[in-house]
Amino acid sequence: MTTGRPREAPAVGARASPSGSVLTGPARALTARLGQQAKLLFLWPAVLMLVFLSIFPLFVSVYVSLTRLEFVPGGFALRWVGLANYRKLLFGIEQEHFLGLLAGPSPVQQVALGVIAIGLVVVLARAPRPGRALSGLLGRSLWAVAGGAVAWLLARTLLPGGRPGTLVTTLTYVGVGVAVQYGLGLGLAVLCAQQIAGRRFFRVVFLLPMMITPVGIAYTFRILMDLGKGPFAPAWRGLGLAEVSWASDPWGARIAVMIGDVWQWTPFMFVVLLAALESQPPELLEAATVDGADRWQTFWQITWPQIAPVTATLVLIRIIEAFKIVDLPNVLTSGGPGTATESLTLHAFIAWRTLDLGGSAAVAYLLLLVVTFAVVAYLRLVRRRLTEPT
Amino acid sequence: MKRRLSLRMAVLWAAGTLVAGPAWAAGPFEGVSVNILTFTGPQIAEPLQRRAPDFEKLTGAKINVITVPFSDLYQKMLTDMATRTNSYHAFVFAPQWLADFATPGYLEALTSRVAADKALQWQDIAPFFRNFSAVYAGRNYTVPVDGDFQMVYYRTDLLAQAGLRPPETWDDYLKIAAALDKKDLNGDGTPDFGSCIAKKRNAQSYWMVWSVAGSFLQSQGTRQGSFFDLDTMKPLVGSEAFAEALRVYVATGKYGPPDELNWDVGDSRSAFVTGRCALTVDWGDIGTLAIDPKTSKVMDKVGAVILPGTHRVLDRKTGKLVPCDRTTCPYGVHGVNHAPYAAFGGWSGGINAAAPPRVKDAAYAFLSYMSQPAQSNVDVTIGITGFNPYRTSQFKSLDLWLKAGMSRAAAQNYLGAIEASLNSPNMVLDLRIPQNQRYQQVVLDTAVAKLLARQTTIDQAVTEISEGWEAITNELGRDKQLKAYRETLNVQR
Amino acid sequence: MGRRRRGRIARGLSPWAAALSYVLLGSWTAVVVFPLYWILVTSFKLPVQVYAGPVYVPFVDFWPSLHAWRYIFVDLRNDTLRPYVNTVVVALTSSVLALVLGTAAGYGLLRFRYRPRLGVVLQFVGSALLVGVAVGLNVPWEIAVPAGGGLFLVLWSTTRRRFHRSMANEDIALWMISQRILPPVAVVIPIYVLFQRLGLLDTWVALIVTYTAVNLPIVVWLMRDYFRNISLELEESAAIDGASPFRIFWSIVLPLSAPGLAATFLLVLVFSWNEYLLALILTGANAQTLPLTIAAQNATRGPQWWYMSVLILIMIAPVIGMAIALERFIARGLLVGALKG
Repeated sequence: MTTGRPREAPAVGARASPSGSVLTGPARALTARLGQQAKLLFLWPAVLMLVFLSIFPLFVSVYVSLTRLEFVPGGFALRWVGLANYRKLLFGIEQEHFLGLLAGPSPVQQVALGVIAIGLVVVLARAPRPGRALSGLLGRSLWAVAGGAVAWLLARTLLPGGRPGTLVTTLTYVGVGVAVQYGLGLGLAVLCAQQIAGRRFFRVVFLLPMMITPVGIAYTFRILMDLGKGPFAPAWRGLGLAEVSWASDPWGARIAVMIGDVWQWTPFMFVVLLAALESQPPELLEAATVDGADRWQTFWQITWPQIAPVTATLVLIRIIEAFKIVDLPNVLTSGGPGTATESLTLHAFIAWRTLDLGGSAAVAYLLLLVVTFAVVAYLRLVRRRLTEPT
Repeated sequence: MKRRLSLRMAVLWAAGTLVAGPAWAAGPFEGVSVNILTFTGPQIAEPLQRRAPDFEKLTGAKINVITVPFSDLYQKMLTDMATRTNSYHAFVFAPQWLADFATPGYLEALTSRVAADKALQWQDIAPFFRNFSAVYAGRNYTVPVDGDFQMVYYRTDLLAQAGLRPPETWDDYLKIAAALDKKDLNGDGTPDFGSCIAKKRNAQSYWMVWSVAGSFLQSQGTRQGSFFDLDTMKPLVGSEAFAEALRVYVATGKYGPPDELNWDVGDSRSAFVTGRCALTVDWGDIGTLAIDPKTSKVMDKVGAVILPGTHRVLDRKTGKLVPCDRTTCPYGVHGVNHAPYAAFGGWSGGINAAAPPRVKDAAYAFLSYMSQPAQSNVDVTIGITGFNPYRTSQFKSLDLWLKAGMSRAAAQNYLGAIEASLNSPNMVLDLRIPQNQRYQQVVLDTAVAKLLARQTTIDQAVTEISEGWEAITNELGRDKQLKAYRETLNVQR
Repeated sequence: MGRRRRGRIARGLSPWAAALSYVLLGSWTAVVVFPLYWILVTSFKLPVQVYAGPVYVPFVDFWPSLHAWRYIFVDLRNDTLRPYVNTVVVALTSSVLALVLGTAAGYGLLRFRYRPRLGVVLQFVGSALLVGVAVGLNVPWEIAVPAGGGLFLVLWSTTRRRFHRSMANEDIALWMISQRILPPVAVVIPIYVLFQRLGLLDTWVALIVTYTAVNLPIVVWLMRDYFRNISLELEESAAIDGASPFRIFWSIVLPLSAPGLAATFLLVLVFSWNEYLLALILTGANAQTLPLTIAAQNATRGPQWWYMSVLILIMIAPVIGMAIALERFIARGLLVGALKG
């Protein structure tokens, strides 16, 4: 395995070669050999596991997404249909379900689309990095197209007259949910980082929602928000809202789902941010106080740069997980009213349950694409900025 | 001495065999273990689990009742048999799924077993269940243990107070709902609802809407079917009759709770038995739930009636609604066409064709045991079993129901409604063609949910459903689907 | 004690500010605790008490009943114990396994230099794919795996000198971490078929292996970041003294990263403990885990809130206990590494 390869490059940070070693020839060779084996042994088990359980299913899913399931005597068969499942989602009878009802042109929309177009031109026109003109241009036109498509979709479905499909609904959950969770988590962390009694109690209690299985949380919120049996029903009625139900209004239902999501995942943000806040070197803060900075300034100038890198990673983790939301919309409203709260994973899950395996795999793949795009976009736009040295 | 002893032994042995009951060809099933799959109870699973030890004492067969979440039962059955894992020998499932299980030959045909089984008292089972529900393509595949069909339940006290009669037509239903809506129906000071129907998506709404639509679409008996035209496989949902049914279904929402769109049958049932609704559409469970003090606040105030019907029905040739008369509605009652809907079919037991022969015998014996009147007639009076009446003997005698806690009047009312429904020659058979979930759970359910959420109009919904159904039919092969549809209805042409 | 004091905003708070803080914190505590309280109270309610409208305080608004607890613990004794045991075994085992493999991988990616040739990687993936397809087509795995391995070795030994482009550590790390992006719903069918062909459906093994694979990326990510911040001098001096990498890893790095290990372990444990979708696909009655049992309480009669509440409570009890015990580690451990991004 090792003949012909350059000698083992030294580990990062270690000295180039051990000097003054007491080991003699064979023992050193053994150590050297162990080093080679160790290197592989450290990595291989994990790699193998991932290849078999993530890569292989990924490819098979592609195949399944290009087929339709049917029953034949003796079992079932997957019939090849090519891109029919994808076509159905993007252009065919499932388009309204997936993308949404694309509203007809209206003045507001024209303006919005115009703004988007200008934005795209600006992005494309920015000077490319030296030496990478073509690939830079290619990369940026790809971004422009993808970003433009998303913006166009949002404009046509969210503005009056349009109706969001599962794609836009999921994007809403992710965008709004993560933002609210972050804001709340940061606020709570700042409060808990202060020198107040009972911090430990709050820390433990705030951690609890994250520990409960999402299915359980979904059912809990279902009964909490029930307008007949739930604990808030009397208050709701008392406010004169007895005739109004969040479950019959698309945005009301979406907000209900997001409330459950925020409740469950704010602890995650809270815990991480609290630790980040707590590991700030106190000298900096003391110096700021001495210099006479007030709390706002201290926060913005000193604390924020410290936690910006944590924020970047944290939000990224949460974004990736948020795209997979399924239990809350499923249990709270089964994706209703109509299809208003259905997320992409729920869309795929429902299709899977009714044995539309090809359709389910197609939705799942498009979800994968969307998440990848979102992650890469996030990495480029936000994370880089936040982790750049100030 | 010896002779007398052996005579006594013989008498005891003979008595024992008689008590054992079912006349199966094989002897006791000592050492045989049967895995039965159903969904997590207590409904349906509880009586199976409760009687398994008795059965074991009688025959020696060990019955393992395995339960999975309800929403996954279909998947588990299918994947188990389709992938030939075959870890389950028998199932208690919904006959609506027979289309997907019987066609590929996963289930054992029980025709000969049933014919030879005297103790089962097959003829006691209501005609609909034994001739349609348990049968697919002319062969018998299941043993019914439960009778699922929908009725309308109403508050006897409220209707009496308002001087109203139980609804005969859907217009009556709407009138009653309007009269009682927004009144305080359970004395807690808050206004309640005229009609509560489980309209949640991905739950039971697609059956509820068909309970309304059935009487508009089918009038010539079960064999006419209510989903497609028997000659062309054209969906009947494209007709003005179905549009009218949708209008009624949407109209019930005016008198319902504001979040009715999010109510599944658990919510509608619980609301009804705690007195919050004047009317509801449901399966048979409300009868027994209403008399259980652990769940009910309306003891002795509940009545049931056969699903309301219509004065106008669909003429299949013209596609228009025509008034009910002796030719158009041969089974009409007082000029009203009723079409009770056997939604879901009624939980029944089936046997995995790939199980070992002796296990299959034991499994059949157990299913027969559960269905026999000695056991079944008791179980259907107990609410927690989830078993609803399906045998004529079950609603002929009031004693068991009285013993379970129903008052005489309530029992007569409840059983009368059941009898009327079970004896109706115009009962609607649920859809059982290949991939029926796509027709009902995907297309119909989604379109109705969008209609109820006011995302579409009735015309748009009708178009959406008929186009969706046509697309599925064409994709799966029109002739194949037509043949399957005819087979499920036992139509020979 | 000294470490704890580090980083606090070392400023006294005016009584006004303190009071406001308490109000805000108290409000959020109420928001967190109220649903849990409701679950607790619902587990003591009769069905009619749940249906008839909210009742809040036991003994005051309603008379509590033990019927749900009795049903879950007595009537359904085995059907509750079995999922519970399954959950414990599967979650613990898969978390430990993910921790072991992921920590090793994370450390390896940081300290060693891997330069797999791209071509070799592709060959490997291709062979693995062929093996998978073969197993899916019912070829017994005892044949498929060695055949695939042999194919790969043959290809590799004949063509390896031709490939020059290689992947670097960062690529491998990124690939591993990006597996997290994959929505489980995209891979449920193939994974089901894979385990079905291997005869492992409805067993602990299937779930353990799947959860390990699903959680590996997180472990690699977090531990790699954590290791980055461990001082290198210790490792360097040990290397100079001739210790093997195993030795260094085992005796020096791991003890130092105990907080990080504990935090990551808890995080992964919580994920595995609460996971629903994959358990739904891969298990039947034998290996069913508690989230499935909870979801199963939504049967034909609608959700049986009382049983569900009992199950939720017994499900979160151990995890909360662990969370309390390890709370110190969570804060310190999870993020020192992530700080630097």
